[in-house]
Amino acid sequence: MISIMFNKYFIKYTLVLIAICFNVNVFAQSAIQIQNSKLKKDRSIVDFINNNVSLFGALDLSKQSINDNGITVPINYLYNSVNNNVFKPGYSGGFRIDGICKNEHHYMLSFAINRLATGSYYEHKYSLSPYTDDFTHFKADNVFTTLSIAAHYKLLLPINEMKKYKFYAVAGPSVDYKISNISNENLLNGAGNRTIINGDLGAEFDNKGYYVLFAHYKIGTNLNQSSVPVQLNRIEIGMSIKAKDLF
Amino acid sequence: MKRLYSFIIVSILISTVSCNKEVSSTSSDVMTNMIANKTWYLDYSITGNITQNFVGQSTYFITYLKDGTTKDSDGIIGTYTINNNNGKYEIQVTAKTVNGNTTNYNHVIESVGNVKMVQSFIATGQTVKTTLYFTSK
Repeated sequence: MISIMFNKYFIKYTLVLIAICFNVNVFAQSAIQIQNSKLKKDRSIVDFINNNVSLFGALDLSKQSINDNGITVPINYLYNSVNNNVFKPGYSGGFRIDGICKNEHHYMLSFAINRLATGSYYEHKYSLSPYTDDFTHFKADNVFTTLSIAAHYKLLLPINEMKKYKFYAVAGPSVDYKISNISNENLLNGAGNRTIINGDLGAEFDNKGYYVLFAHYKIGTNLNQSSVPVQLNRIEIGMSIKAKDLF
Repeated sequence: MKRLYSFIIVSILISTVSCNKEVSSTSSDVMTNMIANKTWYLDYSITGNITQNFVGQSTYFITYLKDGTTKDSDGIIGTYTINNNNGKYEIQVTAKTVNGNTTNYNHVIESVGNVKMVQSFIATGQTVKTTLYFTSK
């Protein structure tokens, strides 16, 4: 009889104990999860520090290389009148956010509007005998406006006294989107392409946080496939000043 | 921080949405703009192996106007259109001669620009192609 009673209570209490343990475990797990997510949230905020918004202006020297092999429409432009293998000046302005990630990685995000005037180098010449003049099948727009975004990693260089003057090597991607009208001549055979993706390399000099002088070299190409692949080379030289110092 | 994340998200959205490619269906319009409101002078005519050079001489010329009319040095007056015939661009002229006779012809546009234009055709009863080289002045 006792053994039966013992077994009955034993089973009952064992079940209750298991249930309590399970619940405690669940509560503990959810508490840990909440704590972890809080920590993660705090950590993610701590990851990005010292964010400074700056305004910048820059001189843009640009040149584009054009491969018009894919054009089948029988149009000609005299080569010497359209080919201009030089860097031409334009300008850009915008704002950038400089910060530090995880206390050691310097980064920069920028948003800019660019007015570019580019020299144009045409890779191919064609001729139609008995005409002696060379020509191309395509004339690229050489003045256009873009919106651009860039994300750069900044490597602090051990030059000079780093607390006062800071020198950075800069690298990262950027994307340009043409917002100006594309001429009909640039839309032949699906040559029109508004988006350019760039790889950027450069150097920056931070003068005690008062201002930053920068020089970036950007090499870009069409993001989408185009019958006229264009390679856009750009040198961007400019200065940025913290927004809070200006306003 | 929220602003920073918003900036990143907006930036990604802009770059994603902007990935489109434009295609023009205006090849004929571009060509019309190139040849219109100019007088084109014949420099060379090549039929088979025979080349005739008219550079520096009194030569045949033709004017195409933006309103779609044409007039040439032979007194032929009419209208023209540029058509895309399976990737070959043709200039189709419907005109009348000085005597009032109707004359229609199609020339293939081999190449056209702001200064140089090349047309070709095979004359009725001929098998050899004639190519005409024009310069605008």
